[in-house]
Amino acid sequence: MKPILHAWPALVLALGSAAAQAQDNVAKFGVTRYDTHSKTSGIAGIGIPPGADASTGDATTWLLTYERMVTPQIGVELVAGKPPKITAQATGSVAFLGEVMSAHSVSPTVLVNWHFGAPGALLRPYVGAGINYTKFTGVRSNYPWQVGLSDSVGPAVQAGLDVNLSGAWVLWASVAMVKVKSDLVAVGATVLQTTIDFRPRVYSAGVGYRF
Amino acid sequence: MNFRPSWWLAAVAAAALVACGGNDPYVPGSGSTQGAPTTKGSFTAVVSFGDSLSDVGTYAPATSLTQNGQAPYFGGRFSTNSATATVWVENLATQLGLLVTPAEVGFAGTSVKCPAAASPALASTCTGYGQGGARITDPSGIGKAGGALTVPVKTQIANHLARFGSFKSSDLVLLLAGDNDIFVQMGLFAATAAQVQADAAAGRITPDQAQLALFQAQSTAQGAMKLAALELAGYVKDQIIAKGATYVAVLLTLDPAITPSGNALPADARGVESALADTFNLWLREGLTGQPVKLIDPNVLLRDALATPSKYGLVNVTHPTCDADKIKLITGGRVSDGSSLFCNATPGVVFNGMRTGADANTWLFADGVHPTTGGHRMLSNYIAEQLKSFGWI
Repeated sequence: MKPILHAWPALVLALGSAAAQAQDNVAKFGVTRYDTHSKTSGIAGIGIPPGADASTGDATTWLLTYERMVTPQIGVELVAGKPPKITAQATGSVAFLGEVMSAHSVSPTVLVNWHFGAPGALLRPYVGAGINYTKFTGVRSNYPWQVGLSDSVGPAVQAGLDVNLSGAWVLWASVAMVKVKSDLVAVGATVLQTTIDFRPRVYSAGVGYRF
Repeated sequence: MNFRPSWWLAAVAAAALVACGGNDPYVPGSGSTQGAPTTKGSFTAVVSFGDSLSDVGTYAPATSLTQNGQAPYFGGRFSTNSATATVWVENLATQLGLLVTPAEVGFAGTSVKCPAAASPALASTCTGYGQGGARITDPSGIGKAGGALTVPVKTQIANHLARFGSFKSSDLVLLLAGDNDIFVQMGLFAATAAQVQADAAAGRITPDQAQLALFQAQSTAQGAMKLAALELAGYVKDQIIAKGATYVAVLLTLDPAITPSGNALPADARGVESALADTFNLWLREGLTGQPVKLIDPNVLLRDALATPSKYGLVNVTHPTCDADKIKLITGGRVSDGSSLFCNATPGVVFNGMRTGADANTWLFADGVHPTTGGHRMLSNYIAEQLKSFGWI
């Protein structure tokens, strides 16, 4: 985690010192729906019947983004927000276990966006691609298991639309797909292992301000 | 207009992100032991701790022909007994030119420690501590109520330290235990399972509740096996290695579900029994990770022998050689479970307890769980091969 803590300020400072342009910063606030479409490698462990699996739930949270326009078309965007609480439900041969664990996913993302249209246009669609880092914190299990989840680094892509209002205000909406894959180890009387591909689709909308 | 800074920054950010990746959670039992000797030992003793599989005659007095605890005995080893039959620990000792005798002999309240010491030249041979029914820590072993001593491995080691003061670098220390803890936990699990199934059948709980209750009963049993394994690992570290032993081989516990006793269980109970053995072995491995010992997995041998009996000169790997009815007669009705402790394989004697047509050398199992003389030879050959591969012999 340390490198990333150091990387953020460095990145923000560096962006701030880039050639200044009018209204080349955008801060956005929004509500986001984190829909997972998870797939796992199945749950393996001593005493776990074959066909044991789990699926993850969806979550709603809010997010904050900061985008630095480096050209009228290209912006570098940082996305952060309140880590959503993701729950996991046992399925398959162990469905009787019910909800087995929950965790918060801390999921900063850096995207490079291409904005269509001219600055100041009413509607400016954009697409972006970047990289997502996800760390799971506050991992809890309803069973006497100590659960560990590896960090995930993966690509992220998004498509969105800015609606420029009068003044500096913006309404926006976006949909993003992120590769979030994590190895899970649950240690109790035995050791359970699985790899979860969360396959989240993230729907967000909110307001922004240019400055 | 200069695009480069942002791309460069994105690359730096990406690199920083990748650097954070990984952080893989630790998987217990995935490590290995480290630092055991790699050179030949000059062994002066085979020091063996464990249960019935390593018992070199603790309970012989229970098999007194005169029924007064005195020799001659018709049994005493959990195998196919005879004047020449030996178990794997003895076979290994013989191969090293050594003798190993029982650390304690007795039954039903009376016992003698190191009976070999009656002849001073043999005083240091009584290092066969394995006792039928013994568990890792709990003194209430299998058969205790019926008179078995079942001194647990913890106390077996303490007894060795009490008699000999410490371990020596010339001791070949062998441990094989865990099955009796499995049997105890299986008994507890089976009792809970019967209750759960009765409750489910009567509609007092839903099928999901029943499955959850069974899962939890199994988890409890697995938890007990984890505890026993970590305790055993602790004894190996603190009471054996720390007390001077250099050559220490720890055998993983044999999976009883692949013996005739396991075959007699319903399929789901067999699965639980295997899980208990695997759980024990996982935590034993974890507990000994980084320790200067060698682990040997005898299940590799047993599975291979079951799959390819002819490779080991075996013709029957499913039926016990000992005949429960004969043993019942021989013991005057005292022993009805066909325990090989009371099974003699000498042809022609009245106390021969062998099933008609059975062979102590070409059949693998003496009773539901214990090997025949041939089975013990197969096991000691395998252990000797492993010791050779370590460079120890």
